[in-house]
Amino acid sequence: MTTVAAASHTAHAHHDDRSFIKKYIFSTDHKIIGIQFLFLSLFFLLVGGFLAMQIRWQLGFPGKPMPGGSLLPETMAPGGVILPEYYIQLVTMHGTFMVFFAIMLLLVGVYANFLIPLKIGAHDMAFPRINMASFWSAFAAGGVMLASMYVPEGAARAGWTMYAPLSAREDLSGAALGQQLWSVSIILFGLSSVLGSLNYITTVINNRAPGMTWFRMPLSIWALFITAILGLLAVPVLAGAAIMLLFEQVLGTHFFDPAAGGQVLLWQHLFWFFGHPEVYILILPAMGIASDLIANGSRKPIFGYHSMVFAICGIAFLGWIVWGHHMFVSGMNPTLGSSFMVSTLLIAVPSAIKVFNWMGTMWRGNLRFHVPMLHGVGFVAMFTIGGLSGIFMAATPVDMFIHDTYFIVAHIHYVLFGGSLFAIFGAIVYWFPKMFGRMMNEGWGKVHFWLTMLFYNMTFFPMHNLGMAGHMRRLYDPNIYDFLKPLQPLNTFISISAFLLFGSQIIFFVNFWWSMFKGKKAPLNPWEDNGLEWTLPSPAPHGNWETPPTVYRGPYEFSVPGMSEDYLPQTKKLPTDREPAMTPAHGH
Amino acid sequence: MTQAMADAMRPPFPAERGLDVYNKKLGMWIFLASEVMFFGALIGSYVILRFGAAGDWAKPGVVLNIKITAFNTFLLICSSVSMVKAYAAIQDGYPDKLRFWLLMTILGGACFVGIQVFEYIHLVEHGFVPSGVREGSELAEMVAAGSLPAATMGLYGSTFFTMTGFHGFHVTCGVLSMLYLYVTKALPGKYTAQDFAGIEVVGLYWHFVDLVWIILFTIVYLV
Amino acid sequence: METAHKRPNYILIWVYLAVLTALELGLAFELPISKNVKLALLLFLAIWKALLVGLYFMHLKFERWNLRILAIVPIPLALILIAAGMSEHIW
Repeated sequence: MTTVAAASHTAHAHHDDRSFIKKYIFSTDHKIIGIQFLFLSLFFLLVGGFLAMQIRWQLGFPGKPMPGGSLLPETMAPGGVILPEYYIQLVTMHGTFMVFFAIMLLLVGVYANFLIPLKIGAHDMAFPRINMASFWSAFAAGGVMLASMYVPEGAARAGWTMYAPLSAREDLSGAALGQQLWSVSIILFGLSSVLGSLNYITTVINNRAPGMTWFRMPLSIWALFITAILGLLAVPVLAGAAIMLLFEQVLGTHFFDPAAGGQVLLWQHLFWFFGHPEVYILILPAMGIASDLIANGSRKPIFGYHSMVFAICGIAFLGWIVWGHHMFVSGMNPTLGSSFMVSTLLIAVPSAIKVFNWMGTMWRGNLRFHVPMLHGVGFVAMFTIGGLSGIFMAATPVDMFIHDTYFIVAHIHYVLFGGSLFAIFGAIVYWFPKMFGRMMNEGWGKVHFWLTMLFYNMTFFPMHNLGMAGHMRRLYDPNIYDFLKPLQPLNTFISISAFLLFGSQIIFFVNFWWSMFKGKKAPLNPWEDNGLEWTLPSPAPHGNWETPPTVYRGPYEFSVPGMSEDYLPQTKKLPTDREPAMTPAHGH
Repeated sequence: MTQAMADAMRPPFPAERGLDVYNKKLGMWIFLASEVMFFGALIGSYVILRFGAAGDWAKPGVVLNIKITAFNTFLLICSSVSMVKAYAAIQDGYPDKLRFWLLMTILGGACFVGIQVFEYIHLVEHGFVPSGVREGSELAEMVAAGSLPAATMGLYGSTFFTMTGFHGFHVTCGVLSMLYLYVTKALPGKYTAQDFAGIEVVGLYWHFVDLVWIILFTIVYLV
Repeated sequence: METAHKRPNYILIWVYLAVLTALELGLAFELPISKNVKLALLLFLAIWKALLVGLYFMHLKFERWNLRILAIVPIPLALILIAAGMSEHIW
C-alpha cells in the first residue's frame, strides 16, 4: 500500500455474484447492514417524533381536539381529545422508541457496523452472519414494539423506565398485552444488542490492519469499542429484568410484589444498573464521532488524543457506579445514596476534559464550517449545557426537588437531542458519500442545522424553567395544580416551538432521500479526511479491500508542516515511514 | 497448540496482533462475559430477595429433591469431563475418540435436561409453581400445617423456576449446538488436529453452563 | 495461542470435583453447625469447584493474562449490583 491513488486501484471489488436477496435483504455485508439499520432507525426516529407531537399538543393545548385526532380510536382520544390513559402511553412509547430504536440503533447499529471494519482496515466484521442476526432481531423487536401500540387495551404505560409493580399488574396499569409485548420486545432487542457488541469487540481487538495500533485508531472507533463493552455487560441485566417482569406479568411470580415479600426497589436497581451505562452508550459514540468531525473541520489534530481515549475509558468505568442517582428519592439506603452522589459528581471530570479538548482542537484551526462541522460544534455546545444541568441533579439535596420534573426532561433532551442527535445528523451527512456514493445538499444541510438549532433551544431550554417551578414529568394536565397554571403560556410556547422543530426535520428527510438518488456524485475523499474509508470508492465495494491496507500514522494528521496538502491519510507512505513490525501469520 | 493449528485458525489476512486468540474463541469468551451479567442479574435478584425476605426460607430438601439433583449435578460435571476429553482427543488427532466423547457429552447433557424436566413435572404436581404454592395442593397443606413458611414461598417459586429454567434453556441450546456440530462436522470427519475451533468454542460454552450450575446447585438446593 | 504446557490431568480434576460435591452434600445435611458458617463453607466449596472448571477445563490457567481479565471483569460488576441491592436491607 503506497499512495492514496494506488490504494484505490487495489480496492476493486472482486466479482460479486450474490443474488439481490443475499446482497440487500439477508446481507452479511457490514455496510449493507449498517444501511439497513439506518433506514430502520430513521423510521423509528419519525415514530418517536410523531408521539412527541401528540404529547406537546396535549401540553400546549390541553383538552382541545388534536388535528388528525379523529384517526385515533375513541378509547384513546374521543373527538380527538387525548385521554390521560392515552397520554401516559404516548410518554412511555416516545421514550422507548427514541432511546432503544432510534438513538441506540442510529449510533451503534448504524455507525459501529458501517465504520468499524472500514476505519480499522478489515474486510468485514468478525462474524458476518451473527451481524445479520443482530439486525433482524432488532427488526423483530421493533415490530413487536410497534404492534404493542395496536392491541385493544393499548401500549405499555409505566414510563420508559417501566417501574414495577405498576408495569407488572394489569389491575394497576390497565394494560396487559401491551405491557407484555414491551417486555418481549426488549428481550429481543437485548439479544440483538449483545450479538452486535460481541461482533464489534472481537473485530476491533483482532481484525485491525497492519500498523493500526490501538493508539492510531480514530476516536469514533475507540468510542464505539468502549460502548460495545458497556452494552455487552449492561444489556443482559436489562434482559434479565425484562424476563422477570414478563414472568411477573404472565406467570404470577412475585419478584416486585411487596405483599408476597418481593421488592419494588429491586426493579429500580436492576433497571438503572443497566440504565446508567445505557446513557453512556447513547453519548459516547456521539462524542467519538464529534471528535472526528471537529478535527476534520478544524484541519488540526485532536487536542490531547490520549487524554480523550482515557476520558472515554474513565466515563465508561465510572458509569458503572453511579446508577443510584436515578433513585435519590426512591427511599433507598441513604448511605448508598451519598456514595452515588460522590461518584456522579466525579464523572463530570472526564466529560469536561473532553469538552475542553474539543475547544482546544478548534482553537486557531483553519476552520471549515461544512455541515458536519456545524453539527459537531453544535454537539459540543448543547452537550455542555446538558452536562451542566447534570451537575445539579448529581447533588442529592437539589435532586430531591427537581427529580421527576421538567428539569430532568430538559437535561435528557439536551444530551440526547442536543448531544446524540446532532452528532448523528453530522455523521449521516459526513458518511453519506461513502454509503451512497453521492453528497447531501450542503445549502439545505445548513438551513436544516440552523433551524433545528433555533427551534430545539426554544423547545427545550424553557423546560429548565418549568422544572424549577415544580412542573412534574409525565403529567397529563398541569392545570389541575393552581401553582402550575401560570406556566401554561410557557407550555404552549414550547409546543409551538416543538411543532416548528419537527417541521424543520422535513428538510433533512427530503435532503436525505433526494440526495440518495439525485445528489451530486461523491469523489473519493470529499472531506479531505485521513481515515481508511476515504481510500475506498464511494460507495465502498463488498469486502472493502482485497488485501488490507498498511497504516503508518494516526488519523488526525492535519496541517502537517511541510506537506503540500493540509491532510495526511493514514495509509500514505512517506519516505521516512517504516513498515509496521508484522509477520503474515497472525501474531503466533 | 502447534503453528499449523494456529495458522489454520487465524484470520485469513494479515492483522495487528490482537489478543492472540482466534476470532471464534475470542467471540465466545466475550459472549460468556455477557452471560455472566445475565445470570448475575437473575442470581443476584435471588440473593437480594432472599437476604431481604421478611421470614425464613424453606429448609433445603423439603420442597426440592436433593438426591436426584445431586446425581444430576454429578452427571453435568461428568459431561464437562467428557467434553474436555473430546477436545483433547481431536487436539491429539483422534477423530474417532472425538466422536465418542462428544456423543457422551451430548447424551449427558440430554439426560440432565430430561431429569430437570421430570423434576419440574414432579414439583408442579405437588403444587410448587412459579407463583409459589398452588391452592389446594400437597404443598399448600404443608404451608397450612406450618412445615413450610407461607411468607417466602412466593419468592421461592419465582426465583427457583426463573434461575433453573433459564439454566436449563442454556443447557438445551448447548446440547442442540453440539448435536449440530456432531452431525455436520464430527461424524463426517471434518475436524482435524489442525482445525477444531468449533469443538473448543462449544466446549467453552458447555463448561460455562456447568460452572453456572455448580453455583446454582449450591445456593438454590443446599442453602 | 496457549503457551506450551503439560496437559492437565482431566480425570484427576474430575475426582476433585466429585469429592468437593460429596463434601457439599455432607455439609448441607449432616453437620450441626451454625447457618452462617455452613453458608460460608458451602460457598467456598462451590467457588473452588467453579475455579477448577474455569482454570482447567476452560484452560484459563494457560491463557494470556488479558484473556483472564476479560473473563473476570463481569464478576465484580455483578457483585456491585448484588451488594447494592443487599444494602437496602441493612439500614
